[in-house]
Amino acid sequence: MSMMTGKQYRESLRRLKPEIYYMGEKIASLVDHPAFVPHVNAAALTYEMALAPEFEELVTATSHLTGEKINRFTHVHHNHDDLVKKVKMLRAIGQQTGSCFQRCVGHDGLNAVYSVTYDIDQKMGTDYHKRLVDLLKKVQSRDLMISGAMTDPKGDRRLSPSQQKDPDLYVHVVEKRKDGIVVSGAKAHITGAVNSHGHLVMPTAAMKKEDADYAVCFYVPIDSPGVVHIFGRQTNDTRKCDCSLDQGNVEYGIVGGEALIIFDKAFVPWEHVFMCGEYEFAYDLVERFATAHRQNYGGCKTGLADALIGASYTLAQVQGTDRASHIRDKLVEMVHLTETLYCCSIACSCQGFALPAGSYMADPLLANVTKLNVTRHIYEIARLAQDIAGGILATSPAEMDWKDARVGKYVDKYMKGVADLPAETRIRLIRLIEAMTCGTALVESMHGAGSPQAQRIMIERRANLERKKRLAEKLAKIGEQPLFVT
Amino acid sequence: MSQDERKIKVALKYCGSCNPYVDSGRIARHLAKVVEARGDAELVSLSEDGIGVVVILCGCPRACGNKPEVRDRAERSLVVAGESLGGKAVQEVSIPAAVEQELIRILDS
Repeated sequence: MSMMTGKQYRESLRRLKPEIYYMGEKIASLVDHPAFVPHVNAAALTYEMALAPEFEELVTATSHLTGEKINRFTHVHHNHDDLVKKVKMLRAIGQQTGSCFQRCVGHDGLNAVYSVTYDIDQKMGTDYHKRLVDLLKKVQSRDLMISGAMTDPKGDRRLSPSQQKDPDLYVHVVEKRKDGIVVSGAKAHITGAVNSHGHLVMPTAAMKKEDADYAVCFYVPIDSPGVVHIFGRQTNDTRKCDCSLDQGNVEYGIVGGEALIIFDKAFVPWEHVFMCGEYEFAYDLVERFATAHRQNYGGCKTGLADALIGASYTLAQVQGTDRASHIRDKLVEMVHLTETLYCCSIACSCQGFALPAGSYMADPLLANVTKLNVTRHIYEIARLAQDIAGGILATSPAEMDWKDARVGKYVDKYMKGVADLPAETRIRLIRLIEAMTCGTALVESMHGAGSPQAQRIMIERRANLERKKRLAEKLAKIGEQPLFVT
Repeated sequence: MSQDERKIKVALKYCGSCNPYVDSGRIARHLAKVVEARGDAELVSLSEDGIGVVVILCGCPRACGNKPEVRDRAERSLVVAGESLGGKAVQEVSIPAAVEQELIRILDS
């Protein structure tokens, strides 16, 4: 099988029987449930765009394993061009969805595990890398969507995994059997979890010897026994069930559709285990995954920002404010912030490097700078969008009232902006800006790919303050100094 | 040999469209009409053999689609790279007509 269409992706989900709960209900078919449809649609677009001539240059790649044309979300980067194209692909898709399309997490996970399993094998004589390559071949040939599951619930943050009162607060091995391992625990905030084909589970932090049972990395199909999903709530999520226009982004929703994945004594065959006790490699895996994922945010989020800038600009036209100098200045500022983020992602990609496995990763320092900027700039872009939109963003009448026979005429009359455009145009833009800036969507920019402090920690580790100190000492003529600081 | 087999094959190659300065879809739609109206040419996939002209549509001057392996697929190539055609500046509004003119010149030559 080659690359799937969006329709084939949806059909492939129908064939699976994952255990998913939402609002107290066990979900029989997420493909047909209004709470999940936007997220399925967004992920489906990653399939559709790979087949569209306009985007195939970015959304497809050539497999280094088979030489076949594959969806880039299943590709392992092998040069700088791959790293740059990933960022460009994410921006291009984000522009079309205006929302998270989820598939990058598993992509980054596959890349991280690909290189770390190679390193583990080199040192420990294991065969994890071959297992990962076998899985990767399946992922590529079947065009699977894999979630990347890293973040554990963590319980008491002061305590390490093995010190927690409840051992399940980090995913861990509870039994090693001849044919595989049994795992318990959970992974939180997992993007695209419910509409993926399987989960790539990775440790969440550096581990010590006493945490060896928690240094575990594996793959499970989404409908494996013992794997339970609880889908998270989102701002205004009931709008997905009782209205259309008021959703703002009807087709693709507001975020990636995150879920808590529980592993209740789930069995994983050895062929899908890629780390089991090699605690000294947990940090490398976390750093490589985090770097790859933080590299993304100046791609996907700039795509979303492009759409938000467009909505703000159009709404200003509809409201007759587009020629005001302060509005134009705010739009320029939004573009400036957006392109600054893009610069960061492109830069960390261009400064990427080869790993022993032959794959490439982005520059960790610059990737963390990228994501840390996203935690600020996207909020500022959203603030400017709200500024331009006006207070109506928070007070617009409901779609039901607009459609109501008694008061709809008033909504049409008083929601109008410039005379030659209907109120509906204005309401649609207001709802889109509301969806993109008022709630869960922004939190994704703050905590997705790790919270700001996680980026600061990695930036400090890579800061090389001692060299900067020597630069200052030389200029200040403190002590004896060489001609050049190297 | 049928008439279809004698038609000059014209293929389009997009850059990937991450952050285009020009609307390559508009240019493509215009070219599709031009090719269809002529009758002696046809739009085909770049993967086909025997392509006469490849029109490389790049949204910005970075021109990601303008690669040797793309140009080598056809006897002749035309490159739009942002607001330029074949390295010469062209305003966006004029690009479809400019590409049409250049394509016709090649097809008639």
